[in-house]
Amino acid sequence: MSSTSYRSLGLVTGVAWACSLLYVPVLGANADPEAMEYFEKHVRPLLAGKCQACHNAQLKSGNIDFSGVEGFVKARDEAALISAEDPAASRLLAIVNYDSRIKMPPGGKLPAEELEILGSWVRMGAPWPGAEQRDAMIPEGTHGTFSAEQKNYWAFQPVSDPELPEVGTPDWAVKPIDRFVLAKLEEHGLEPANPAPKLTWLRRATFDLTGVPPTTQEAAAFLEDDSPKAYERVVERLLSSPLYGERWGRHWLDVARYADSTGNDEDHRYPYAWKYRDYVIDAFNDDMPYDQFVREQIAGDLLPSDDPDGVNRQGIVATGFLALGPKAIAQQDKTRMLYDVYDEQIEVVSKAMLGLTIACARCHDHKFDPILTKDYYSLAGIFASTRSFREPRAHVSRMLLKPLVPQEEYDRYKAEQDVIKNKQIELDNLADVEIEEHIDSIVERVSDYMLGAREVYEGGAEASAVALKRKLDETQLVAWVSYLEPRDPPRAQLADWHVAMAGRRAEAAEEYEKRFAKTLKEWHHTIRRWRASAIELIKTGTMPPPPKPKFRAGRDRFFFDVYHAKGGPMNFGAEQRNQILKAETVETIATLKVELKDLKGNAIPEPPMANAIEDGDVVEQKVFVRGDYNTEGEPATKVFPAIISGFNQEPVTAGSGRLELADWIASPQNPLTARVMVNRIWQKHFGEGLVRTPSNFGKLGTPPTHPELLDWLAARFVDDGWSVKNMHRRIMLSNAYRMSSERGESAARIDPANQWLSSFNRRRLDVEELRDGMLAIDRSLDYAMGGTLQSGFGTDRENSNSRLSIDPTTSTRRMVYLPLRRANLPTLLNLFDFGDAVTSLGKRPVTNVAPQALFMMNSEFVAKRAANIAEQLLADEVASEADRVREAYLGILTRHPEPAEVDGALSYIGGFGSRFEDRTPQAAWQSYCRVLLASNDFIYVD
Amino acid sequence: MNYQRMVEHMNAVQPVSRRGMLRDAACGFGMVALAGLFDRNAATAADIEFDAANPLAVRPPHFEPKAKRVIFLFMHGGPSSVDTFEHKPYLVKNDGKPLPIKRPLAFDDEEPGPLMKPLWDFKPGGESGILVSDLFPHVRERVDDLCFVHSMVGEGVDHGAALLQTFTGSSTFTRPSLGSWVVYGLGTENQNLPGYVTIKPALSHGGAKNWSSAFLPGSFQGTPIGHAGLNVSDVQGEPIEYLTNKGLSQEQQRYELDMLRNVNRRHAEMRKFDPRLEARIQSFELAFRMQVQAPEAFEVEKESEATKKLYGLDDPVTSDFGWQCLLARRLSERNVRFVQCTHSYKWDQHSDLFNKHNTNAAEVDKPIAGLLKDLKSRGMLDETLVIWAGEFGRTPVSQGGDGRDHNPYGYTIWMAGAGVKKGFQYGATDDIGYHAAVNRMHVHDFHATLLHILGMNHEKLTYRFSGRDFRLTDVAGLVHKDILT
Repeated sequence: MSSTSYRSLGLVTGVAWACSLLYVPVLGANADPEAMEYFEKHVRPLLAGKCQACHNAQLKSGNIDFSGVEGFVKARDEAALISAEDPAASRLLAIVNYDSRIKMPPGGKLPAEELEILGSWVRMGAPWPGAEQRDAMIPEGTHGTFSAEQKNYWAFQPVSDPELPEVGTPDWAVKPIDRFVLAKLEEHGLEPANPAPKLTWLRRATFDLTGVPPTTQEAAAFLEDDSPKAYERVVERLLSSPLYGERWGRHWLDVARYADSTGNDEDHRYPYAWKYRDYVIDAFNDDMPYDQFVREQIAGDLLPSDDPDGVNRQGIVATGFLALGPKAIAQQDKTRMLYDVYDEQIEVVSKAMLGLTIACARCHDHKFDPILTKDYYSLAGIFASTRSFREPRAHVSRMLLKPLVPQEEYDRYKAEQDVIKNKQIELDNLADVEIEEHIDSIVERVSDYMLGAREVYEGGAEASAVALKRKLDETQLVAWVSYLEPRDPPRAQLADWHVAMAGRRAEAAEEYEKRFAKTLKEWHHTIRRWRASAIELIKTGTMPPPPKPKFRAGRDRFFFDVYHAKGGPMNFGAEQRNQILKAETVETIATLKVELKDLKGNAIPEPPMANAIEDGDVVEQKVFVRGDYNTEGEPATKVFPAIISGFNQEPVTAGSGRLELADWIASPQNPLTARVMVNRIWQKHFGEGLVRTPSNFGKLGTPPTHPELLDWLAARFVDDGWSVKNMHRRIMLSNAYRMSSERGESAARIDPANQWLSSFNRRRLDVEELRDGMLAIDRSLDYAMGGTLQSGFGTDRENSNSRLSIDPTTSTRRMVYLPLRRANLPTLLNLFDFGDAVTSLGKRPVTNVAPQALFMMNSEFVAKRAANIAEQLLADEVASEADRVREAYLGILTRHPEPAEVDGALSYIGGFGSRFEDRTPQAAWQSYCRVLLASNDFIYVD
Repeated sequence: MNYQRMVEHMNAVQPVSRRGMLRDAACGFGMVALAGLFDRNAATAADIEFDAANPLAVRPPHFEPKAKRVIFLFMHGGPSSVDTFEHKPYLVKNDGKPLPIKRPLAFDDEEPGPLMKPLWDFKPGGESGILVSDLFPHVRERVDDLCFVHSMVGEGVDHGAALLQTFTGSSTFTRPSLGSWVVYGLGTENQNLPGYVTIKPALSHGGAKNWSSAFLPGSFQGTPIGHAGLNVSDVQGEPIEYLTNKGLSQEQQRYELDMLRNVNRRHAEMRKFDPRLEARIQSFELAFRMQVQAPEAFEVEKESEATKKLYGLDDPVTSDFGWQCLLARRLSERNVRFVQCTHSYKWDQHSDLFNKHNTNAAEVDKPIAGLLKDLKSRGMLDETLVIWAGEFGRTPVSQGGDGRDHNPYGYTIWMAGAGVKKGFQYGATDDIGYHAAVNRMHVHDFHATLLHILGMNHEKLTYRFSGRDFRLTDVAGLVHKDILT
């Protein structure tokens, strides 16, 4: 028995069906079980044993793969191996019978009985488990037309600008939004809930816009403000707070699947990811028009710059949106890796900005939405013409880092760095040449050192005495001793030395010396050749010298240990080197070192850089049949999805096409862009979007509950110059947003999911609100903005703690500033449903599990917050115990306690003291504050 | 229906799947509000029915299982199969000769070296006489309990891809991990411990992606006990984060939690039709039970001296992995469904194969043999499946003279215990030891077979996410029944 069809698929296994419903390769109902048994018993083992060494998924010799059904079907049909009409005349049989030009297997004809097996099988029609299902699948290809249903699908229709609906109780409907909401409520026999109490609204609005609760002063001020403008003032205050951008920037970062590392392999860092994060936060704080925000993230590097030097710094940083996705940069199939990157870019653009799952069309036309494979490859062509790497084909591909200065300036910096590097090489060469000569001169002493060392470690002689006797350098001898001494487990390369009996030792030492001398000669030859060319290149200045060759330990481990390894007998320390070098060389080196230091000290500092993308060579993309880049289909010119822009588009021919893509998305004519964004904003205010699948406006998503309202908002969004802040004003000053979260019995019955919005949706704080909120309440939150907390780049050591991101329970910066390492997100983030920072996330899940309770009960973090609050409450010596309880309620829960709650609190604190006499009042208050922090009252926003 | 009745109703209708709930909602009342408890998106529908308030509750398998639990011993880095468990006489005979086939994609891009014979002698073990190299003398004594698969095939040539595939089925995408699928399918019998525990897992090569629940509900995520970069002594203090309160006695904490319950009850009474509030109240009660009962499972030091010795806890060479194996037994004994031990990223011998493989094997050989012996003597091997695997094997050709490159095209893993044949060898690579040639078992097949042993049909263990029914085995997977008892 063996497996069916995986390796051959490559891409296909992982991706092909990623969007389809399951296709399950089981035996077909009408597959002849006897034939199948024959195949499994005789044919498959034969193919495995005699053919698959070459005809497997990796090698695909002659483009034939017999390792599974996928490959077989392909070979059968494309290489015409089996003739359906006349099986006995099949090409496969001619080949194995050596009757054709190609003769297989190449090593000799199969034995007669095996030829018979193949013959019988082919004559049966070459049945293969799963092949029938493959044959029955819908043929791939581009369908030239769309059905009426597809064309009329709501999300592809232009945004309309509907009239406000008439309603029965216009008094309630103070804002246009209210008219739409109320109309639906009336239609379904529902009534809007009462307005929420003022403080409830304040808590809701403050968390919504800033991610932290109101301060007690803000609460008091709002309660006192009786003017009709009180609510508006709060909204304006919150919108102008820098905390707003941190909160709403984070929402976008979810959608942009933002993180600071690649996720796969060694979780390589994106050193400048944080600049993109800060850009997003600033964009929200500055109320950057959303169409500009979209344009910059796709093609900011190509947009004109306001800067006199012509560098669009902001635009370049913005393209981090495309650059910062998860990547498998150690993947060795580099073409596959690159197309996985383009795929990821298509996915994030289409989900985040268009609410479409275009990436589903990589291997076949989208199964549910009118997105064609050709549409996919048209977009892939745009990203294939864009560079995300400086060296995509390096063993571990190197990501693109783009200077945020004019190219000439960066080149000057690079040139200066080259001079420094060259100087360093010259300096190293000076010493190395003499050291190498010295080693050449002492190579015939290797055996003496070995024999001498043995006298020391085995015979117990003094090293100094042996050195004197054998005329050896004592320091070197000691190094030889420590290297040659037997140890557990033994070093394989020293086995011959250690087994050599007394009489054969000198001989063994000679053998080691001989081998050493041979390798030394080769190595010095290599290194001298390199040096000659390096000096030549440095002199002519035509190009930077190649990197110094490295000795591979495996080539000669003994040589490596002695010559290269740390502490190796011929890997001399500084003191030894100074003794070996000529006095004048030591002097020259000292002078050169000063010069070098000077050079480094005065060098231009590294210009600011960004993780970004740029235009590359223009790729004329073809459709990859079934997503397999080995099988190119028809050309996919750079046009936009046909369902929206039709079949008669003028393709982009110059440049990557990113600028055109950006313009196409950020256009008021695009039916999706504005709708998708206003829906996201609505969702973050009401807990649910008008479309409840915010990143999927396609058929598998849910249709809008209030289509007219969605369009009205989208139209206003464009009218407002794509202002996000204005959208907040429109929403938050409505009566719909002011409703209480209390559910009436009839509403719960008629509309259990509250899709008609008869009350506000109670929501649980997300992990940032929970954590930042607690830090804000106990006044520990660090309000510093921007910058990086994990500097430097490259790869962290295996199992290094820096792979664990920064623990949000030990830092006091806002959570949005903590670096996110995709491979190891902090426990707290996993615990409270942060998501994985790998795929664009439009809506976080909300779970409710015991480990979350453990965090509230037991973590040092919550204990510390509770202790701080208790301390602050107790610091007010004039206040009564009841005052303190009221203060705690206001600070933590933004409300005043009922008298019964005050009584309950006092009796708890008193009870704590009397039951646990060894505990201080501070401990009792800490415990009480933790109760409030852990309460549902805190973690849910009404 | 009033709130109280609704909560009772909620408790009465378990287990409840989302689909089931939607059905209820159609004829009953209000239950759809529950959706919020584990709502991931509107299209989510679990094909395994589970109670949102108690997602780890035991669920019946699809059919009679052969094993109840799994202990996965992971050798991170990729141990060489031809030097450990698959004897290749051809390599001995042809040592130093050029590779006779075209080399498939390898990790390092240099020219392939010549064939390199196994660097250790193979000797027969047990009554079955199965050949095992001198790297594993202790395990060799237990070969009569082992079931070898010599024909594993994966797709990842680099560690990242290979780990991801070994643990999630996909070599590129973020998918739920093996252990998460198992616990999602079966639940777990001990509600006071997590259902899926991974001891000292690697932070590299995907890190937590290798034990994450991805789009499955978070309760099915693996619970890490420390990580590979920590010493056992660092881990022992607080094996599971937030499990102990350092400021309150148990009595004091009970007093605090009673107050919390009162505060929450009062809050809930004023807010109707929101079962999330009661569910969260319950989560604190469950958490309290967990923290009282869970720590005992981690008290490895309470084992007898003889047992500790059996696992090599008395020797610094074996004490780390020995501790992992002994803890795995304790957790398994307490019905933790899926336990993983990781011998950290040590097996990646591109060079210095002889020395490093010697050291590595010495660290794990005795603990593994000890675990097998201990499980057997306690009768646990009848219910527990032990798996030994790396993310791939190594090439039969040398790299740089004294190492071997990655080889996912044909490598050996072994299993022992419930559900698999004993003293059995299955599959083989070609003569050279490069490609699986007989009874190829792709990672998907291995996953399918493993789920089968646990009583699950891999094609029916699905979860709907983003409009698609996902499986551990994607669209592939074949149960290899020949290795089963």
